[in-house]
Amino acid sequence: MSHQPIEGAPLLEIEDLAVTFYTPRGTVRAVRDASLTLHRGELVGLVGESGCGKSTLAFAVMGYLPGTAEVGGSLRFEGRDIARMSEPELRELRGNRIAMVYQDPATSLTPTMRVGAQIAEVLREHLGMSAEQARERTVELFESVRLADPGAVGMRFPHELSGGQQQRVVIAMALACDPDLLIMDEPTTGLDVTTEATILDLIADLKTRVNAGILYVSHNLGVIARVADRVVVMYAGQTIEEAAVRDLFKNPRHPYTAGLLSCVPKPLAESGAVTKLTAIPGSVYPAGEEGVDACLFADRCPSVRDACRSEAPPMAPTDVGSSSRCLFWADVRPEIWATGEEREETPAANGAEEVLTAKSLRRFYGKWKRKYIFFGPRVQPPVRAVSDVDFKVGRGRTLGIVGESGSGKTTLARAIVGLVPLTGGATVLHGEELERDVDDRTRGQQAAMRMVFQNPTASLNPRMPVRHAILRSLKKFTGLNSRERRERAVELMEAVGLSAVYLDRRPDELSGGQQQRVALAGAFAGNADVIVADEAVSALDVSVQAQVLNLLKEHQREKGASYIFISHDLGVVRYVSDEILVLYAGHVAECGPADDVLAAPSHPYTEALLSAAPVPDPDAEPTRIRLEGAVPTLREAFKGCCFAGRCPRKIGPICDDTPPPARVGPSSPEHLIYCHIPVDELAEMQRSGVGLR
Amino acid sequence: MAATVVVRDPWTDLLRRVARALALPAQRIASALRLVLRTPSGRIGLPILLMHLILATVGPWLAPYSATEFQEPLAEYQLQPPSWQFWMGTDQFGRDILSRVMSGATSLIAVSVSGAALGIALGTAIGMSSGYRGGRIDEFVMRVMDGLMSFPSLLLALLVMSMLANRPAPLEILQSNWQNILIVVTIGVVTLPRVARVIRSVTLSLKTLEFVQSARLRGERAPYIIFREILPNTLPVLGVEASVRLSYAILTISSLGFLGLGVQPPSPDWGLMLAQSRQFLGSAPWVALGPAAAIASLVVGVNLVADGVKQASGLPREKAAT
Repeated sequence: MSHQPIEGAPLLEIEDLAVTFYTPRGTVRAVRDASLTLHRGELVGLVGESGCGKSTLAFAVMGYLPGTAEVGGSLRFEGRDIARMSEPELRELRGNRIAMVYQDPATSLTPTMRVGAQIAEVLREHLGMSAEQARERTVELFESVRLADPGAVGMRFPHELSGGQQQRVVIAMALACDPDLLIMDEPTTGLDVTTEATILDLIADLKTRVNAGILYVSHNLGVIARVADRVVVMYAGQTIEEAAVRDLFKNPRHPYTAGLLSCVPKPLAESGAVTKLTAIPGSVYPAGEEGVDACLFADRCPSVRDACRSEAPPMAPTDVGSSSRCLFWADVRPEIWATGEEREETPAANGAEEVLTAKSLRRFYGKWKRKYIFFGPRVQPPVRAVSDVDFKVGRGRTLGIVGESGSGKTTLARAIVGLVPLTGGATVLHGEELERDVDDRTRGQQAAMRMVFQNPTASLNPRMPVRHAILRSLKKFTGLNSRERRERAVELMEAVGLSAVYLDRRPDELSGGQQQRVALAGAFAGNADVIVADEAVSALDVSVQAQVLNLLKEHQREKGASYIFISHDLGVVRYVSDEILVLYAGHVAECGPADDVLAAPSHPYTEALLSAAPVPDPDAEPTRIRLEGAVPTLREAFKGCCFAGRCPRKIGPICDDTPPPARVGPSSPEHLIYCHIPVDELAEMQRSGVGLR
Repeated sequence: MAATVVVRDPWTDLLRRVARALALPAQRIASALRLVLRTPSGRIGLPILLMHLILATVGPWLAPYSATEFQEPLAEYQLQPPSWQFWMGTDQFGRDILSRVMSGATSLIAVSVSGAALGIALGTAIGMSSGYRGGRIDEFVMRVMDGLMSFPSLLLALLVMSMLANRPAPLEILQSNWQNILIVVTIGVVTLPRVARVIRSVTLSLKTLEFVQSARLRGERAPYIIFREILPNTLPVLGVEASVRLSYAILTISSLGFLGLGVQPPSPDWGLMLAQSRQFLGSAPWVALGPAAAIASLVVGVNLVADGVKQASGLPREKAAT
């Protein structure tokens, strides 16, 4: 095993790569012109929106492309061209030299085998180890990916591990044969922020320990900023900018990169002034189109000139040592995207008329079951998804709800709109108590409260034209006749930035962002007072996410609607919310005005969430607080604080035994922190960083 | 274009409207058939099925000889091997087998299609409603379906036929077709639970989807959601299920015919022909060959089309012409 290359020679060298698929549906140019180099010991981030060819590039490096794909250019691993290798050579390469980590760890592991045995199998197959050696090496590998209790974890089945632990096992498996090149395709995208932070720590740490090159594919700029040494940006199958991580974030030299950066809501604005998000208009240059002699980004570029439309720009070096596929890289600066415009303020909390009030909402799933059919003690209590949540939403204001998956956010949203009936408590809209089931509410109440879902594709009936949902909403909620409804539908579509021709399209002819805008148009149709948005932008690319967020804000300003905005992304929640409610295990951990909640002092859980959120700034200090594990499943009421089991600032048995008091924050009487630690102590601890368990 | 004078004639207007109303379904069906034709199974199965359908509609008129009349003298025409005069030979009564096969398609296809259609319609309605409602009602309905399913289909059909076929029909109008109606109902009852089960499981996964939730949020009632939102999305599954159920219906009816309880006389029955041919199997095998080939090719055709539908539902839809 001595294939140590000459120092300085790149491990992976991709030059003018083009990958074209010929399918029954037409030709797909997934990668048009991509070049990158990767050295040993280096982590290169590959970033871009969906449909830009990132994953195809990663698959091409693994030699996983199907026979129908046409590969142009060259793809050299230690000087040998991967695209020209035979199948046995490729197999040898994949097993021992190149390894890949995929997005969903659950599908990378065999569900019927213990995880230790799965890794041992790799070791015995590829390295010819004996069973004993393989077992020892497996434990070492588990240690190296920082799995707790490495000796015992191998005896578990994949379903007995949390998502973060599963991903660690997958990474351990990738490291098993000591690969020279490690490809990670969105390895943290399916995980919670808190888990993502711990995996990113591991990757940052591996980078220094493992003598391999890592190609890290991600759509998340914050994640890339945290782990990468160099970054390559892809757009429409082309690599359009390559730069050291700091240069890329500080001095982007391509308008697309600059645009992507200004699309991301910054979670930590210094002055407190929140600027309006930039949205990149339009969508990615379609892969079905043939390339033209022009810049493929020209149609979306704010500083496009005539030259951009008549010649295809080459990759050219820039002043900061990066290279950019823009003819006018020297003129690229963040201002071309017209940022700096301050977001309009929403009406003050005090003056706002109260629209929606939730009184100790409760939703339990399942029923008490007896041990035998009719006899025996009652066992298996119901799952307490949401217990005793109170909040108020004022007219024209936005309540943000944050929390990890499993914290009860979605259940809360569905209970409010009446899709799942409440187990206890009441929702009051305009002073009237609402029925628990949406079917029993009055037409007016149904019109007043609408919901936007996470998955835009599933929100529209795939067999109905796009107009269906909008016209039905108008029919139900307005007294318009059919001609007026049609006209109103056109207006609604225009309000969400879509032309009327889309009304007659099928949902599958629309992109994800367009589908979500149609869903918004449907939600706006009845002039709703309250719109509940459950992760409404989480499935969208950043540039589209910004479009949708701006649209929501605009609608709120015009119509004075109130929003309940649910997301796991703190940056997004901060951008849209006036008040924030932090939910943990179905309980309110902290609530209050957005700025107060996100600034110290805050609940230890909020603090952990804040420090886990990846920041698109390579200079941001990696924060200290990491949460392991996941939100517990709640079959019993908590005796003490719901967060005690994972709290890094737990002070003692009091946390387990006594419910935490509601403590009022220093800057606002509405800011409540449910914690045993007094507010001023909490503030002191968080300022100095002491008191961590 | 600007200079064109538009003449408004009420009849042309009406015709245009009718054409426009029919255009979309016709287009859908045509494009679905084109999709099925793109699959290998569809390419073989559709022509076979088409041939049977043509036989079923115009077969009795195309047949060269009478299907029911004996030809005299019997000794001359009895059990003739295939020849230019009688392509499939003749049977023990001197009847032309080809003519009998051609005339037999009508009632078999009519009865099996209506039986399967009855079962599919009821099964779909029950499966969707039960799945959408959920809870105890769903549990109860599905157990009833399990109960129905536990009857072997042929045995149930035999039971019904032997008990009821010889009794008078409850209504005078039904009397002339009494036996066929019994078969249709029996096939319907046998098909129903199987279809209900499949459609219920599709409904269970569809009803959690956001577009159904969002229909509830805009205040749609359950029947609207079931028939307008969920039903169109079950069509691919329903298409496959329908063709599979149809081929089972054909087999069941042919088996009943074989046992002498099939389609009402005087129309010739393939199953019965097969049963009667058994005694000559050694001396005149062609008597069995005609009806056997007819049943087999029909079932194979339907199954191939079912397979084609299944494959086609995974194919991308053709782009609508703009």
